[in-house]
Amino acid sequence: MRILLTIIAALWALMPMNAQQTDSLCAKPLRPVYSAYMAEVGSGHLADTYLTPLHYNGIHVGLLYERTQAMKFSPEKWIQQLVIGLDGDITENLAKNANMYNAALQVSWRMMRRWQIQPDLTLGFGGAGTIDGGCLYLDRNGNNPAQAQCSITVDAAGYAAWKHQLWKIPFTLRYQAVLPLTGAFFAPNYGQLYYQIYLGDRDHLAHCAWWGNFFRLDNLLTADLHFGATTLRLGYRAEIFSSKVNNIVSRNISHSFVLGICTEWISLRPGKKLPDARIISAY
Amino acid sequence: MKTNKSLVLGLWSLALCLTGCHGIEEWDNNPEGNFQALWTVVDEHYCFFKEKDVDWDEVRTRYAQRISNDMNSTQLFDACADMLAELKDGHVNLTSWFNTSYYTNWWSDYPQNFDERLVEQYYLNFDYRSIGASKYAILNENIGYIRYPSFDSSIGDGNIDGILNYFSLCTGLIFDIRDNGGGALTNSEKWAMRFTTDRVLAGYMINKTGPGHDDLSEPFEYYFDPVTDEHLVWTKPVVVLTNRSTFSAANNFVSVVQYFPNVKIAGARTGGGSGIPITMEIPCGWGVRMSSVSVLDAKGNTTEFGIDPSPGCEVDLDQELALQGIDTMIERAIEILNSDW
Repeated sequence: MRILLTIIAALWALMPMNAQQTDSLCAKPLRPVYSAYMAEVGSGHLADTYLTPLHYNGIHVGLLYERTQAMKFSPEKWIQQLVIGLDGDITENLAKNANMYNAALQVSWRMMRRWQIQPDLTLGFGGAGTIDGGCLYLDRNGNNPAQAQCSITVDAAGYAAWKHQLWKIPFTLRYQAVLPLTGAFFAPNYGQLYYQIYLGDRDHLAHCAWWGNFFRLDNLLTADLHFGATTLRLGYRAEIFSSKVNNIVSRNISHSFVLGICTEWISLRPGKKLPDARIISAY
Repeated sequence: MKTNKSLVLGLWSLALCLTGCHGIEEWDNNPEGNFQALWTVVDEHYCFFKEKDVDWDEVRTRYAQRISNDMNSTQLFDACADMLAELKDGHVNLTSWFNTSYYTNWWSDYPQNFDERLVEQYYLNFDYRSIGASKYAILNENIGYIRYPSFDSSIGDGNIDGILNYFSLCTGLIFDIRDNGGGALTNSEKWAMRFTTDRVLAGYMINKTGPGHDDLSEPFEYYFDPVTDEHLVWTKPVVVLTNRSTFSAANNFVSVVQYFPNVKIAGARTGGGSGIPITMEIPCGWGVRMSSVSVLDAKGNTTEFGIDPSPGCEVDLDQELALQGIDTMIERAIEILNSDW
């Protein structure tokens, strides 16, 4: 009897500790956000046969924000990524007597399953939804000076990340690609003026996207050099876009050097203690 | 790792393949290449081959004989300009750094029928109001007169209200668009809708749907909406004065208002130019402008070759009377306004 009471007393005494440990294991894991703020500059190539049959070449600039976080429902396996990009191109024709400008805003939300192939190598693959809106402007044209480029797409997204050290500096080499699979995009008719659209001639402006008429591949190769809490990002970005619909061919190609700053952070309520929880990084 | 490399290579191969599929024709930047480029962009975008009865392939054959890679820019320009003149279209121009070609016969083969000095001296007495492109005054017969030489620049709704309000006691209005070479359709629409209170079928537009000469869209009917209630509308009789140099957006203005019950067109046939022009370019950087969208009037007629005055309203400027200070076209307009409408 004494032994039994001793056991019960011991269990009772252990209960809070057990409960605390159980709480710790079952508590919601903390999912820090990996934010990257990037600027890019490089070469831009524009062509749009609605505006001109000629190719235009010049400089490409862009700002890119990338927010990556483990997903709530299965943080070890799934990550989500929000990417907002602002692109611009200033180009000129071969004769250097006309300029074409491009401005575009892209918002993309991605969800990827990740696999830890080796301790230092992670692969990810998933889907994305992207909204893209932009405009080309050719300064020499009269009634056809601009061309809108808008699309909403469902994409395949994938990445490979390799962690290593370089002169004792930990770094992550990462390649990421996004490829639209289908969606819808805007294009006027072959010789249709925007004035006609303004007057109400709005049939057949939206087109179903597939690789035969709409192709875009966004490649981002980065090396994140981790200096303590802050990370320096160096990279290369290649955006390739080509569409052909209504006998109008559009092409935007850019190759850019990327420079960015990345941080990983957790949002906490002021005054609240950091919970004793697992931290699952998306990176 | 091998799979990963294959995937990346595969994506890039796909990119190269598909961007290659979306090909854009290119030409050499030499006289022969530029000539070919010019011929092709016109071939693929010009909308009036049928109306003009031009065999564009034959034109290429004929003009290609004048092109060689050892010719200079001026010689190339002249040959290209001559080729474009075959289209007999005032909306077709070739623009280089040293010249702009321009087909003039659509107006130069006809009497000018307008003398600005005659109007300003003998009808306006150099005493008129002016706002934007317009000059306006009340003639002796209590008829309002608006001289509107261009639709290039915009005019505010309040400005038009001010002009029409000035004429509020007049019995009729002359809207003189002789020598008005056009401008923006939105500006001509702005004036047209001051002469009616109804929503009107303005006409039809036909655009190219592909590079073939017969790749044309179904006619799209377009409407102009009336101005809002706070703006003035002139519903009393209007005579629109036209000559052969009434062109493009001014021609379009005539094509719309000619069917208004309170409007008569007087003077000479307009110059046409119903195509809306677009701009393209060729490798050497020269620009080429050409009609690309055909605009028909509300009855589906082309106005590319001009619009005749209303029946009984044809009149030319008598040069001998002009020397005596009489503009026979304004006089005829006054007669029409004073007659039973």
